[in-house]
Amino acid sequence: MSRRARIPNLGGATAYVLHRPHPTVQTLVRQLSAIGLQAVDCWPELPPAALSADFVFFDADLGFDEQFPWQPGEAPMPLIALIGSEAPGRIEWALFAHRANSHLLKPVGAAGVYSSLLIARQNFEERRGLAARIESLQARVAERHVIVRAVAALARDSDYERGFAQLRSLAMSWQVTVETAAQRVVTMAQEEEESDGRHHA
Amino acid sequence: MKRRVEIGILYSRSGNYRLVSDACRKGALSAIAEVNADPEGTVEFTPVEFDPQGNADRYATGCAEILQNSGARHIVGCVTSWSRKEAIPVLERGGGTLWYACPYEGFETSDHVVYMHACPNQQILPLFGYVVPRFGANGFLLGSNYIWGWETNRVARDLIADAGGEVRGERYLPLGETDVARLIEEIRATRPDFILNNLIGSSSYAFLKAYARLAEQDDRFQPQRCPVVSCNLTECELEAIGEAGRGHLSVGPYFHEADAAGAATYRPQSSFEAAAHASVRVLAAILQDNPGAVWKDLPAAFAQRRFDTPFGSTVLDAQTQHATLPVVIGEIEGGSFRVLSRQKEVAPDPYLSRYDRAELFGKPRLRVVP
Repeated sequence: MSRRARIPNLGGATAYVLHRPHPTVQTLVRQLSAIGLQAVDCWPELPPAALSADFVFFDADLGFDEQFPWQPGEAPMPLIALIGSEAPGRIEWALFAHRANSHLLKPVGAAGVYSSLLIARQNFEERRGLAARIESLQARVAERHVIVRAVAALARDSDYERGFAQLRSLAMSWQVTVETAAQRVVTMAQEEEESDGRHHA
Repeated sequence: MKRRVEIGILYSRSGNYRLVSDACRKGALSAIAEVNADPEGTVEFTPVEFDPQGNADRYATGCAEILQNSGARHIVGCVTSWSRKEAIPVLERGGGTLWYACPYEGFETSDHVVYMHACPNQQILPLFGYVVPRFGANGFLLGSNYIWGWETNRVARDLIADAGGEVRGERYLPLGETDVARLIEEIRATRPDFILNNLIGSSSYAFLKAYARLAEQDDRFQPQRCPVVSCNLTECELEAIGEAGRGHLSVGPYFHEADAAGAATYRPQSSFEAAAHASVRVLAAILQDNPGAVWKDLPAAFAQRRFDTPFGSTVLDAQTQHATLPVVIGEIEGGSFRVLSRQKEVAPDPYLSRYDRAELFGKPRLRVVP
């Protein structure tokens, strides 16, 4: 059954607002509570509990790296930049260094908060999904030479097509990836070579 | 000596949802008369009226005119969500508050609006909770082509999926369109278990009449087997629908019951009238305590108190400015509704953040997860 993408329910989610005490924070916290989130404001740094938050809003105007308990760009949840001055240097910091997933313009009003949450979450999840896919593809690319060696070990009479087909059927029967199967074949071939070496010695 | 306070009234006296508009206006004016006649009260309202004539673009203009040309900072008005959304920026600029007396699609909390009628957890959720176990989960979704229909049907799609059903069709008509022949044919062909009707005004009346003719040809479409269910249909439109409405269902915070126990002297004819009336009564109570109260004073004024309204003793949520309301499901019978189920006080949840699928529909059926 294919599942249609749907607007997530934000009830019970927690949001930290990292901003100095200001009417904008009050409006934002009120709006977040109205939407059904638990909102916590803090300044000048995020408390350890923020690591388990579902969203973090941060001040792009006066923010700095040391406020965050993670390296720039490695936040474990969606980030929303609160932008007041629109100075390019501050946007650069919020967007390129901290990789904000969405933003809200200050002064914050009743409008915009809900969509900023949804956009940030969607952007965060898409980015995380892509990163995981890239990582697994990179790992597989890195195994190319192992595959070449495994096919060479399996190929009799230089029939590489057959060697590769055999590797794939081994992977299937072992229920592992072609890369893992290749790794096993190479290890087995090495052991065989070594034991042959010992016999001849 | 009473203090005179101007109050804006922004309802259309013409156009295709005039019946709803008239009901709201009647509720507001009757409450104004009550407040003015109250010997204990210190407030006397003077209505400042603007008639947008059923044109969505005229509501923002009307709002601006009332805020500029009078001392009124509170306006009772708007019927469609389209007009409410147009009015909000004007209210923000002019420091005004809109008291909104119609059900709406939720997902909004403006601090310049007080939401006195039902939001989704007070209408479509309980309606589906009633309808799905009795008729089935396969729905056909109808709407007038603007935000109320789109958004209510979006929630309906999610609910139908959660109930394990299927959306058999989703169709929109332009506001005021009365050619419904194609809709009827699609419903005949797809055989849903129920039809969710988010058409408004003349489109809705035309549809219900055509659907009654379909039921005459095919028993499958009798209301006891495949009802038309609505979140905004009230007594004020039953006359326009006539016999075609019999047996179909609606949900609202109030239905007019002639012989209800403990009846107050004033019994509104519909929930629209009741909500507009409640708006004026709540405002009067607030101004009685704080004569200059404007939009930013409202959260404090709502906190920890109850207001006497036609809905009973009413609480308003200071955070979202939505009313806690009864939820009543009724079946059309003659010119009124027969009550099928009633919940007394349902707190507003405009973003459906407390929605729980298992609570509404029971445990989900097992299915293969890809």
